[in-house]
Amino acid sequence: MVMQPVTCRTCATEVLVEKRSLPHTTVQWTRATSHCPELAGHGPARVAVCTRLRATIEQAVRDGALEVAGDDE
Amino acid sequence: MSARSTTDHGPRTIEAGAPPARYARGWHCLGPAEKFKDGAPHEIEAFGTKLVVFQARDSGALHVLNAFCPHMGGNLAHGTVKGDALACPFHDWRWGGDGKCAGIPYAHRVPPRARTRAWRTLEENRQLFVWHDPQGAPPPEGVTIPRIEGAFSDEWSDWTWHTVRIDGANCREIVDNVVDMAHFFYVHNAFPTYFKNVFEGHVASQYMTSDPRADMTAADTLSAQGRLRSEASYYGPSYMLDHLWTETGGATVETVLVNCHYPVTPDSFVLQYGALVRKLPGMSDEEAAQAAAQAAEGLATGFEEDIAIWRAKTRIDNPLLCDQDGPVYQLRRWYEQFYVDVEDVRPEMTDRFEFEIDTERAVAVWRAEVAANLARRGTGTAAGAGEK
Repeated sequence: MVMQPVTCRTCATEVLVEKRSLPHTTVQWTRATSHCPELAGHGPARVAVCTRLRATIEQAVRDGALEVAGDDE
Repeated sequence: MSARSTTDHGPRTIEAGAPPARYARGWHCLGPAEKFKDGAPHEIEAFGTKLVVFQARDSGALHVLNAFCPHMGGNLAHGTVKGDALACPFHDWRWGGDGKCAGIPYAHRVPPRARTRAWRTLEENRQLFVWHDPQGAPPPEGVTIPRIEGAFSDEWSDWTWHTVRIDGANCREIVDNVVDMAHFFYVHNAFPTYFKNVFEGHVASQYMTSDPRADMTAADTLSAQGRLRSEASYYGPSYMLDHLWTETGGATVETVLVNCHYPVTPDSFVLQYGALVRKLPGMSDEEAAQAAAQAAEGLATGFEEDIAIWRAKTRIDNPLLCDQDGPVYQLRRWYEQFYVDVEDVRPEMTDRFEFEIDTERAVAVWRAEVAANLARRGTGTAAGAGEK
């Protein structure tokens, strides 16, 4: 399973995402969170999730653009 | 999902590695500030050496110096506070909080370059912190200890405080717990239902929801009373603040825990922890103190459980993980930033990383285990709480 690029529909930041299953999510950022409307301005790691990025990831799963490991089980 | 690979790669070999020879860069809590304000010097064994903490009598400021006097090696922690300086018990050399020699009563003059090492200090949340950096630089902007309003408010209890020295383990063991969802069930008798980690910059967070275990009594678990929500963050390598909300009898109890440590040698450290509890409406100071003591007791039980594991386990640099484990390797990648020179901190050590565990399987298995424990107890086969 490899990390797949996902571009946030709100702020256009590209992150790397891995879904080992529907409930699991790994998100690796590769640049600062300062352009994210939900994370910017808060202390680092003090906000658990950007709900807009989350929505983008969920939509990518629904669209089949983001592969979920274990789907074929 | 639990199917085994059919390829036989042979047994896994543990790489125990060696603990790092250097100590982490960052703020380290030395304990409640009040403890050091009794007019006497205090010896702290840390970072492979000895430090001395003293309060300047006139200014009231807390200072940290190398414990050993650069003159003839006397131990300043056995000395005396004289004015704003600390006097060595060996020859009465006086040292100011800035590390400069403030006087040598029997000498005509002080050698011009007579200085010892003064450690940068910070007082926050009624605790004393010391800055350690092998490269000798001051803390970067934004790297500080966040203020907990409850530590200064009448609406909260006072801090409880416990200190325990752990020998035979590197402090990485305690930091590993940040990502270790399953150990909360097996070691701490808790029942995590949601678990997420976020690492970013110098902060590593753990977001968790945990349910009470029906097969445990209050004495066995941190979350006996009701659903517990926890937001815990390490600010740097050694100071964790954990905000907890526990549902109990229709009310939400708000608690702040501190879990911190400082290294003594590469394979020993001093673990410290304490609790603050927000007073519920109508709660007296005594009741709040009692609630904080109770929270601290739960915390103490938890750490005793961890310590028993650490004392018997091996260091392991190559843990063998399953799908439902937390991101141990990424946590250690984050942690490594504190052990390399600033110019060697790579972006992947500090870039935001999020990992939300799929708890479905674990929750189902744990529910069954709890039910089996209850059923066994019901049939009177003497299965005790805490049986694994």
